[in-house]
Amino acid sequence: MSDNSDDELMPDWIPYSHRPEWSDVTPLAQDDGPYPVVQIAYSEKFSEVYDYFRAILAANEKSERALKLTQDALQLNPANYTVWQYRREILKDLKKDLHMELEYLDNIIENNTKNYQVWHHRRVIVDQLNDPIRELPLTENVLKMDPKNYHAWQHRQYAIKKFNLYDDELAYVDRLITEDIRNNSAWNQRFFVLKHFGFTSEILGRELQYTTTRIKRVPNNESAWNFLRGLLSQCEGAIDQSSYVNDFCEELYESGGRFVFLLAFLIDLNERRYMQCEEESKKAEFYKKIEHMCTILSTDHDSIRQNYWQYMLQRIRSN
Amino acid sequence: MTDFDPQEFLLKKHAKYCLRFLGLLPPGLAKQESSRGTLVFFTVCGLDVLNQLSLINDGLRNEIIDWVYSTQVIPDCESSTNGGFMGTTTLNVKSDDPLVLKNIGKYRKGHLAMTYTCLATLVTLGDDLSRVDKRAVIRGVEASQNDNGSFSLSASEEGNEHDMRFTYCAASICAILNDWGNVDKARMKEYILNSLRYDSAFSQDLEGEGHGGTTFCAVAALQLSGQLDSLSEVQLEKLKQWLLFRQIDGFQGRPNKPVDTCYSFWIGATLKILNAFDLTNFTENREYILSTQDSVVGGFSKWPRCTTDPFHTYFGICGLSFLNEPELEEVMPSLNISMRAYGKLKDLHNSWINENTN
Repeated sequence: MSDNSDDELMPDWIPYSHRPEWSDVTPLAQDDGPYPVVQIAYSEKFSEVYDYFRAILAANEKSERALKLTQDALQLNPANYTVWQYRREILKDLKKDLHMELEYLDNIIENNTKNYQVWHHRRVIVDQLNDPIRELPLTENVLKMDPKNYHAWQHRQYAIKKFNLYDDELAYVDRLITEDIRNNSAWNQRFFVLKHFGFTSEILGRELQYTTTRIKRVPNNESAWNFLRGLLSQCEGAIDQSSYVNDFCEELYESGGRFVFLLAFLIDLNERRYMQCEEESKKAEFYKKIEHMCTILSTDHDSIRQNYWQYMLQRIRSN
Repeated sequence: MTDFDPQEFLLKKHAKYCLRFLGLLPPGLAKQESSRGTLVFFTVCGLDVLNQLSLINDGLRNEIIDWVYSTQVIPDCESSTNGGFMGTTTLNVKSDDPLVLKNIGKYRKGHLAMTYTCLATLVTLGDDLSRVDKRAVIRGVEASQNDNGSFSLSASEEGNEHDMRFTYCAASICAILNDWGNVDKARMKEYILNSLRYDSAFSQDLEGEGHGGTTFCAVAALQLSGQLDSLSEVQLEKLKQWLLFRQIDGFQGRPNKPVDTCYSFWIGATLKILNAFDLTNFTENREYILSTQDSVVGGFSKWPRCTTDPFHTYFGICGLSFLNEPELEEVMPSLNISMRAYGKLKDLHNSWINENTN
């Protein structure tokens, strides 16, 4: 059985069985048992490469040709974690220059940006090299193609944490948020960086302004509202900052804003006031506000979550 | 124009689709070689939720069970931490040469995700797990736990992929075998709580972005380990809101990302665990899931008019089961198997307890 996609990948393919330098190796077949299920009709090429890989593994051969073989095996199936592990062992045994490995991986990762194993291999190699020089450019490159690629962000956080590369990250994140204000991954990264430096009241003030400015620009952006919520959680007891947020929300509402995330935020603010208030008449006033917002959300602005807003109102009432 | 009702759930076609995947697969799927165990899981459990497990006759059932067991690693000594399932036969060879077996044996290791899907498949097929080397599996799980409480895909000196996925798989394995061995549940909980983000969702690892799939893993692992009460009322309410905000018509996995059929399971199951699924809009969810079914050959895809695959097919079916689609089996959300299979598992647990007390 032939597989065109494999052929396209390797146009000048010579089967291992035709290569004189491999004539001393007897391929070792996979034993899929008498009644295999979810059996894959491997291409001849796939079967052969893995038969030779098993033979190499069985002989515990760690050589240049074995290293090249892993490359073929990984091109056919980059998700095979055993091949990656064996490749690392060969690299170690042959004392290969791991910078070359990074170069090889740049290419592999670009073609397999959502594959767990390639990113893991990259991480182990970077750990061994103890050198993060290419990691920020690599992840930046992947994020250029897909700004929300989870693997790339995870790898970027790993490199930043391990090698203390926080310094320029805020500028990068800012650029991404400018390009797409709804990029939730970038907002998350922003929080990650700020948390590292610590939320001083000066930084909090600056960030509150940063966020509210962007909410004014695109008001119904959940990412920014969640970020605002996150900032507020760092303001424990800081009355100035809390009231800044309160005022911002009230103003947005008074000027006619009826955005779902604004209303949800206002419900939170009023719930807090409601819970803390001991004066019955004021309490009733807060409750009335909550009731109004839950009602307009469930009837006009967010009817898909009708059940939820009704539940919310009931929950607050019973508290 | 189509001559069928787009709102009709084509149960029989999906059953055939699942059955087809148990057979011979095209060469294009060779990249799934290392995770064939998950393909078996999606198709067998898919048929189960479709209430069509009877399409697997006794002969085929035994073949599947034997194949799954053929991927189990049975360590030759008590101290080995290689136990578990590989979910693939890549490293199965026929040889009498002890050196060959020894050299290859070094790389034969249980993989937590494969161990979980293989055990779930066996339970679903009504196997009694008597051929599982249970102690070895649990030893493998124990050894996969890291200092920060998370789990890796297997025990390894080099250190390997560790995150919320494997933390969930570890919890499921212990729950299925009803044995937590020396797993440090408190540290596991700590890791999970350390991955709770400012937006009230859980990330794949610590300060990553909150995500629907990893939030399922986190919440399900807490429930399976009996530690869901470590989330405060406020945290729970905020989490519910984050989850409910994921509904657009179907569900998205993160804010400002497109909707995808599989999140009808990940988000749906998490809300089920939190007893809040009834707060979602059933009609829109159902409409979206059904818009991604292939009406010609069966199966589901992530988006309308896209290529189907077993992963989205299984999760599409589960998503509909949560919506009480007639004829579908109920799904046990945290273990991600049918309630029927879960009932059989409970019976197994009781029989093990009786064995031990007799």
